[in-house]
Amino acid sequence: MILVRAPLRISFVGGGTDIPAFYRTYPGRVVSTTIDKYVYLVINPTPLIDKVSARYSQSETVTHPSKLQHTRIKAMLMDLGITNNIEIGSFASLPAKTGLGSSSSFSVALAKGLHAHKGKRLSPREAAEAASRLEIELLKEPIGKQDQYAAAHGGINLFQFNADGSVIVEPLLLDFKKRAEFEKSLILFYTGLTRNASDVLKDQKKQIGKKREMYKTLSDSALEFRDKLLAGDIKGLGEMLHETWRHKKQLSTKVSNTTLNSLYDAGIKAGAWGGKVLGAGGGGCLLFVASPKKHSDIRRRVRAAARKAKLADFQEIPFSFVDSGTDVLFNNDSHVRV
Amino acid sequence: MRDYIDKHMRELTVALEHVPADEIAKAIRTIQRTFERDGRIYIFGNGGSLSLATHWVSDFNKTVFSHNLKKHVKRFQAIRLPSTEEEYSAWANDEGHDMVFLGPLQNYLQDTDCVIAISSSGNSTNIVKAISYAKKRHVPVIGLSGFDGGKLNKLADVKILVDTEKGRYDLVESAHAAILHLITKYFQDSFEHALQYAKKPRKIASLTRGK
Repeated sequence: MILVRAPLRISFVGGGTDIPAFYRTYPGRVVSTTIDKYVYLVINPTPLIDKVSARYSQSETVTHPSKLQHTRIKAMLMDLGITNNIEIGSFASLPAKTGLGSSSSFSVALAKGLHAHKGKRLSPREAAEAASRLEIELLKEPIGKQDQYAAAHGGINLFQFNADGSVIVEPLLLDFKKRAEFEKSLILFYTGLTRNASDVLKDQKKQIGKKREMYKTLSDSALEFRDKLLAGDIKGLGEMLHETWRHKKQLSTKVSNTTLNSLYDAGIKAGAWGGKVLGAGGGGCLLFVASPKKHSDIRRRVRAAARKAKLADFQEIPFSFVDSGTDVLFNNDSHVRV
Repeated sequence: MRDYIDKHMRELTVALEHVPADEIAKAIRTIQRTFERDGRIYIFGNGGSLSLATHWVSDFNKTVFSHNLKKHVKRFQAIRLPSTEEEYSAWANDEGHDMVFLGPLQNYLQDTDCVIAISSSGNSTNIVKAISYAKKRHVPVIGLSGFDGGKLNKLADVKILVDTEKGRYDLVESAHAAILHLITKYFQDSFEHALQYAKKPRKIASLTRGK
């Protein structure tokens, strides 16, 4: 049995610039961090059962992976030529579609786990690329590579997506004081609005030609964000996010909606320096940067706005940063094959 | 006499000033990641470096949390290899001295672990053998080397090189001791800070799966 753990991520700036339509002509850049919310994947070889099983919110048992409903498990099993005697189960700390990158975290865990099952250990970069290939090439999802890279590597990083498809990973190494100060300034809410990242991104992708200049600004602002973070200028970071959020709102009509606007405005009115919608927008989570002194006010006001908008599943998500990426936590399968 | 002492102190200061800070930061991150996945840290070296390894393990496993041992239930699991003299002698006598680190490492190593290797020349065969094995397993290797870094500095994922004239074991080992103490002190301060400024835990009540 193999147990793999992949962290979720909070993306601060530059989302959308990791799409090839953009980075083929100008470097895309994203700053993100992994957090202590995880996707877990269990891979169990079943030598005596000539079937393929996938266990998630559904439970499927089929005679060949081509018959699976779960698109990612199906595509990756087919791609790796694993056709029988395997059972795959997934577990998560949070529901899907929160905007915390969970679907790519799942893909990285799947890539790392199934390769381990075949006796091959993937480096973070290999795992990120394998997951990106699965989602973008095999499944034709109109998404970028930032989430796969974030989940595979772990920690606070600046990712740069180059025209030739290569990715530069720059870890932003903060000492514990700066790191704790930044972490304590953040407050995260699940809005209860779910969205399909692909829909928003498809819409954004269509408009990339028109909005190229704005994307360039977004990409460059990732560098500014890095510099402010390393300098410990948390207020500056918050204010930057506020600017970026306003920029992004113009990118696609689906990135924001009245409900989200009302929650966001409530947070700003309560004293947040800035904030953003996490993920591709249209729902998911809302993140604020604010002095910890303002957090209880923000909590109260944003909660009230959520009640008014009748968001039944609205809820705060407490979290901590983590440094670890996607790890095989347990493997008694391919015992020490080197 | 005074000149001799001053000269040595200056040389040591210069050697310390040239240690790449980014690599120490990476070493700290590597250890933090190992802690997060409940992995173990294996550390080893020859001669004086072996004593540095033993010294570090005793500091790291206990002293890091000394400010409040009761509140830190989860602690580091750092282990010096070989962990007993008997094991050392058995591997050396039966399998050859090249196997004293690789032998035990093969027994213990899991994917969740990390390795710290200390070698002034960076070229000791037993060290190079052990880290080559860890590299093949994709287990991160922190290398503390001296002189020109040798093979250890080339192979290690984290390259902590104390750049000195060849043969200056005195400077290299003193600097290694300082760096290892820095790492211990960092985690000591970090965990103490985390306790002091701990956020009150907030419960996640009703986020349900599979919507």
